[in-house]
Amino acid sequence: MTGNIRVAGEQKQGLARAGQIYHDRDIRMRQLKAEGRKVLGYLDIYPVLEMLTALDLVPFGILGDIKEPISRADACLPTIVCPFLRSALDLGLKGRYDFLDGLVAAHTCEVGEKWAHIWRIYIDLPYIHYIDTPHTTHQSAREHLAVLLSDFQGTLESFTGAKLTPERLRRAIRMHNEQRALVRGLYDLRKPDPPLIAGTEVVQVLVALISLPVEEGNELLRQVIDEVKQRHDGPKKKPARLLLWGSVVDSTDLIAMIEDLEANVVMDDTFVGSRAYFSDVKLTDDPLEGLAEHYLVDIRNPRTFRETALDEANRKDYWADLESRHGYLKDYAREWNVNGVILQTLRYCDIQGYEVPGLKDYLEHIGLPCTYLEWNYSQAALSPLRTRVQAFLEVIG
Amino acid sequence: MTKVVIVDGEGLLRARVVSNTGAEHRRLANRVMEEALQQAGLPFDQVSYVVATGYGRINVPFADRQITELTCHAKGVASLFPAVRTALDIGGQDAKGLKIKNGVLEDFVMNDKCAAGTGRFIEVLAGTLGLKVDELAAVAAKSTQKLRITTTCTVFAQIEIVSRLSEGVPLEDVVAGVYDAIARRTVNMLKQLGVEPDVVFTGGVARNAGMVKAVRDNLCYDVFVPEDPLITGAMGAALLGKELVLKARAKGQPILRKERRLEEATFFSS
Repeated sequence: MTGNIRVAGEQKQGLARAGQIYHDRDIRMRQLKAEGRKVLGYLDIYPVLEMLTALDLVPFGILGDIKEPISRADACLPTIVCPFLRSALDLGLKGRYDFLDGLVAAHTCEVGEKWAHIWRIYIDLPYIHYIDTPHTTHQSAREHLAVLLSDFQGTLESFTGAKLTPERLRRAIRMHNEQRALVRGLYDLRKPDPPLIAGTEVVQVLVALISLPVEEGNELLRQVIDEVKQRHDGPKKKPARLLLWGSVVDSTDLIAMIEDLEANVVMDDTFVGSRAYFSDVKLTDDPLEGLAEHYLVDIRNPRTFRETALDEANRKDYWADLESRHGYLKDYAREWNVNGVILQTLRYCDIQGYEVPGLKDYLEHIGLPCTYLEWNYSQAALSPLRTRVQAFLEVIG
Repeated sequence: MTKVVIVDGEGLLRARVVSNTGAEHRRLANRVMEEALQQAGLPFDQVSYVVATGYGRINVPFADRQITELTCHAKGVASLFPAVRTALDIGGQDAKGLKIKNGVLEDFVMNDKCAAGTGRFIEVLAGTLGLKVDELAAVAAKSTQKLRITTTCTVFAQIEIVSRLSEGVPLEDVVAGVYDAIARRTVNMLKQLGVEPDVVFTGGVARNAGMVKAVRDNLCYDVFVPEDPLITGAMGAALLGKELVLKARAKGQPILRKERRLEEATFFSS
């Protein structure tokens, strides 16, 4: 199977193919369904996709749609919660994801947890599993997650009737690690000035990745990387090279607004962006232990609490704490030659929002200008944000 | 409101026009500009540079450049108050906090998400009380115990004040409470930046004496208000345009201008 999409005899590759899947996300899923494969939807980055891949299940990332007004979900979720989750449920209720054979969700945030249970009530699927992922990195939490993954393995095996052997799981981990390495390779193309690939194009590729089986995603990444390296019509050089941090960015709209101004978005720390891809899963004797370590400790995300750093006298040290929590952003800024940071959170996204005051302090401390946008996951919200971003660009010169 | 300011090479005001924007705002810019040119006694081709700012900045087909209202306000305020470090601008649609250093915008914060904390809040609640906005300050001056309005939403605040009036709370205390509610919100927003003197208060709402008092009381700093607080943004835009022209001339560089048309914006104009 090549995984390339054929439409009326035309075989699209690379960026064109990513763009096609971005705009028509279920296109490959419906083909795979017709071939007899089972597709499981998942939310955010904590469902352990390696375990699905190992059992020949196709993972499909559930997203919202910034262009679709939320209507039906308002009967099931309060309007004062994360608009992304409301949108994702709304699409589910409207049948956008009617090709799914199941759903895997994990505890990313409180609303995410309720979202999963409400989905179960309103949308009946043959398979639903919820992973109650812990929120700390303590040893006991890691061990607990490994046990939870063992439970997950049990329900997957019952659903598929197949045995998830350590060898199958290791093979899947290698494939997903390959995807992580390829995404990092894609991000390397953003390091030159001007970047070789636009922020909007990266979003299209990453949305396409979570709409394809992992092996087809890896093939797409190889095509995109080769194409981008060879083309001569990439983004223009602009004064600002920005890092975008925060809540889910699952469409090109926000980045298109920014890149329409005098800025290139050259790095991100978001879902669907770099967060899921910037560390590998270690191949441990018991693969579940390596997976638990990765999803709980290695992935940097405000939803996971990290112990406060202590100074030499064993007292809380604010700056050491900020360094331990956000130091990787300094590395990103240096490696991608960033001269400004846009912190963005969706309205009511407490998980990311609580992080903002400390993160602003940290960025100021290391001399990196930043601005904070709180927005409403709607196209209408982008117009006032444009003023703020433009003013920020005027401030940083 | 749509405003036009024309300054000369010395930065002196040559024209000042303020006009209601209305729903046809895309058509208005050229008309207001024509009025300003008449006031200054200038033909359009004698204008060296045009900077458009504010929400409508992309709808000005004869502008050479668009600069945000945040940068323009900072410039305008600093031209009037060189020692300014913090500025609060409350208009009909939004409220802005500006941190200014050496006359240049350093940081900013904005409320543009809802009417609470903007001039619209005052207008709506004045309507609920059956008063004109101009009458509010004199009424509030008689207050002995301002009402603490607890709801943020403008619509719920309407319900709250009607309910409190029916409980017998005096009108003057309700009006003082309206001022206090908006001042508390905007001052708390300003505190995100760290308030440092001198503090300047601008925007249409700064023309209202009751609001100035409420901001002063909540801020615990004296606040300076320009004589004409409505045009600081337009003034800043004009001064930035002047600077761009003078800088280019000093360096012997060409002044980069757009092909300008003093005509109505259309949906096809850039």
